[in-house]
Amino acid sequence: MEGKVIVITSGKGGVGKTTATSSIGAALALEGKRVAIVDMDIGLRNLDVVMGLENRIVFNIVDVVHGKCKISQAAIRDRRIKNLFLIPASQSDNKDVLTTAGVERVAEQLKKEFDYIIMDSPAGIEKGFENSIVGADEAIVVCTPDVSAVRDADRVIGILYSKSLNPKLLVNRIEPARVERGEMLSHEDVLEVLSIDLAGLVPMDEQVLISSNTGTPLVLQNESKAGQAFKRIARRLNGEADLPIQAPELKTSLWGKIGRTFGLKK
Amino acid sequence: MINFDSSVPVKLKGVGDGFWITLDPSCSEETIKSEINNLFKNLKPLVMNSSVVIDVGAAKGHGDLIKNITSHLKNTFKVTKVTTPPEKRSIPTQRIRQRDLSKGWNHHKSDVLMLRGRVRSGQKIESKRHIVITGDVNPGAEIIASGDIIVLGKLAGKVHAGCPGNNTAIIFALEFKPTHVQIGAIAAAGMDEDFIAKPEYACIEDDGIMVKDYMKTNPFRKMPWPETI
Repeated sequence: MEGKVIVITSGKGGVGKTTATSSIGAALALEGKRVAIVDMDIGLRNLDVVMGLENRIVFNIVDVVHGKCKISQAAIRDRRIKNLFLIPASQSDNKDVLTTAGVERVAEQLKKEFDYIIMDSPAGIEKGFENSIVGADEAIVVCTPDVSAVRDADRVIGILYSKSLNPKLLVNRIEPARVERGEMLSHEDVLEVLSIDLAGLVPMDEQVLISSNTGTPLVLQNESKAGQAFKRIARRLNGEADLPIQAPELKTSLWGKIGRTFGLKK
Repeated sequence: MINFDSSVPVKLKGVGDGFWITLDPSCSEETIKSEINNLFKNLKPLVMNSSVVIDVGAAKGHGDLIKNITSHLKNTFKVTKVTTPPEKRSIPTQRIRQRDLSKGWNHHKSDVLMLRGRVRSGQKIESKRHIVITGDVNPGAEIIASGDIIVLGKLAGKVHAGCPGNNTAIIFALEFKPTHVQIGAIAAAGMDEDFIAKPEYACIEDDGIMVKDYMKTNPFRKMPWPETI
């Protein structure tokens, strides 16, 4: 059976595309699937650092597209999670070196060798973004609960629809305490504006910064709330579509819970 | 010469965008013409290109007289249009006429662009007609119409109705929260104050844009019958 290309995109930078890509990719590999994660952010590669595979790069996606090497040569195997491969971006080129036709051809080849190909799109809606969505079968739009991220996600969703991709939404970095205080948009507010299907909700988690700095997969840390959320998203992508989406909740005392049940506002 | 015995041969009054002349058909054509000349002499610039109704009262016939006066008015005073008063209809005929009118919208070619669905950031909808959107308009979206803009949903983008120069256009939304509003040449920024979702519309009043509660000041409520647009 042919694999599936899933592009992770957002429009705005810094909302957690790279974290989502590496975490979902790792979680899918833990589920036993053959997964390739592809860094499409040519010139500003990050995914290799986040995954702790930087010092093993020989070839990259630009070499693959230009036919300088085989996919198997460019794909770096992760040592901790088997079945997980990374195809890094080139750091020295810029985004114009790839053509949509070339990326599409490589995407077709990747589909034959892997079950899931997760593409990490660059920020923006220019050439690099176009290259990363051209071969995609599915799209996940990452958005944080703030007004500017929602605005950019909205624009990207419009573009994805025009390319006949049906994107799903991943709301990242939800802080239940701040939502409760009214300082932050809730995921309902975000959904009301964007009105697309949810892929999942991921809470704010300090563990994310630590694990990306040390290059260890988030999903291997059982105490990480974000890691657990990404695991559930991966299970949902991997056929368990009915797995309910858990909204991040504040840890409240028993009395607080009882109060909420009776409709009392805190 | 002043005739004290009968009514004056010509009476003039202004109606709407023209004049209404009541003639006494018992007077001779010459008398009537000279009277008209007298009356119209001072009004010449006003009469030019206006329309005139010739009323001979209850008297019937006089087709020749009306024809002669018509050509006289057209030639001497450059009147554009001369008509006779409309015949008064009985109430049943009036009703039938209204029913006929209502059938008219079956053949009406619409002047409205109607869209369904969400308008997203970065999308721009332009039309020379009225625009109706059943769905929400997100912040960052842009809607430009030569006529009215009606949003059956939340309006949070940038809207420009009556483009260019139609100051009678309105912008209506079930939730009126645009970032930027423009009607004709007058523009205004959206409001940040506390917002209650209710049907509202914007229109031009005293050279400024006013946002009003639609349920309280429905601008169409005073229209006596439905009109096709």
